[in-house]
Amino acid sequence: MNIAKESIAGTLESNDLLVKVSPSLDASLEVHVISEVMYQFGAQIEATVHDELDRLGVKSGVVIIEDKGALDCTIRARVEAAILRSSGAEIDWSRLS
Amino acid sequence: MGEECEELAFETIELSRQPGEREEIVQLLAKCGLTMEEGVDTFVVCRRGRRLLACAGLEANIVKCVATDPLCRGESISLKVVSEVVHLAYERGHAHLFLYTRPNNIAFFAGCGFYPIVEVPGLVTVMENTPIGIRAYCNRLKAKRHDGERIGAIVMNANPFTHGHEYLVHQALAHCDWLHVFVVAEDVSFFSYADRYALVSAGIGHLPRLTLHHGSPYMVSRATFSSYFFKDKGVVGDCCTAVDLLIFREFIAPALGITHRFVGTEPFCPTTRKYNADMKYWLQADLSGAPPVAVVEIPRVETAGTPISASEVRRLLKAGSMEAIDRLVPPATLDLLTRKYAPAPAADPILMRAV
Repeated sequence: MNIAKESIAGTLESNDLLVKVSPSLDASLEVHVISEVMYQFGAQIEATVHDELDRLGVKSGVVIIEDKGALDCTIRARVEAAILRSSGAEIDWSRLS
Repeated sequence: MGEECEELAFETIELSRQPGEREEIVQLLAKCGLTMEEGVDTFVVCRRGRRLLACAGLEANIVKCVATDPLCRGESISLKVVSEVVHLAYERGHAHLFLYTRPNNIAFFAGCGFYPIVEVPGLVTVMENTPIGIRAYCNRLKAKRHDGERIGAIVMNANPFTHGHEYLVHQALAHCDWLHVFVVAEDVSFFSYADRYALVSAGIGHLPRLTLHHGSPYMVSRATFSSYFFKDKGVVGDCCTAVDLLIFREFIAPALGITHRFVGTEPFCPTTRKYNADMKYWLQADLSGAPPVAVVEIPRVETAGTPISASEVRRLLKAGSMEAIDRLVPPATLDLLTRKYAPAPAADPILMRAV
């Protein structure tokens, strides 16, 4: 899937995260993570985001994660929502798991 | 049932279509020591039942007039209303958002996903909704850096490009080792950005020791200096120019190693004249951790005793005096003006001349 336009998903409430994605200017994939729990979980959050981007086939773009202590499942869901919105693709809701 | 049991409801209001909502918002803003700002048409409001608890305004890519009833603080209603307005802005195609606030509110807006860029000490802080915005922009600028003893910069709107801009660029080039020229990117001027940039590029793009840059939201933009684009309103607050100039001094100049900024003297437009005067203070005074940038004001070139200015060209264009414009602009500008912007031929040319 492609990051075709700027989009956003999530909130900055506790236990949630805000995901902002935008097209890359130079075809690279950049992930920036800012977290309330950076010291303990920063690396794990980044790994989860990269894994989700891989699964969605995202090869390039700028992804900014502002995390307020979200669980992995929340992180995956918010990343997926931001990418789906950004790709402009028709969403087949029944296929989302 | 107690009022606190009711759900919070969020709603988007367009004041131009729902003028009846205005008074309630004005009252909420007043409770928070704020006033309704001109130009803010869209508001996200938060209600519980009928009662208005919070609001956040949006003007293109700028978040304004954020207020929460003092009795309802501590329920993260403010965070929710800012979050709603940010999502609304994205839906409308504005992803890169800015806001102005008093420096004592920085912590609150930081919790809403905004990051400070610069502060006019004690007066106002400008923030953006990305942690990498200005930093990534400066990194891209650094790639275009040229070392030298005197590195110059000009920011021009070129609305449209005239012999005056050409002259300023040649004078500046004679005074420095390398010159960076930025074309204001905000697309709200009479001539479109694409046209303005193309004419500047045709006029000076080929010159050696010069880099032509696209403008950005960080310089003379709606976000950093909104009043520039609404000169007709006359009043330019001090903060407005300060934010734009401090961003230049603290981020753009260091990224490119700029030591000098060149401007033409401004005989006509009070807004530009004030901007030039303020520039000497905010770029040169001992008030920032960033090194000073010397401001060099170059007298405007004149033709037949009148200084050449873009506003004069626009005036002549409106009056249909193409032959008078010929003396003020390079051929490429005249050509484009004639093809694309000249007023339709008048039905009765004799009558037109008499007016």
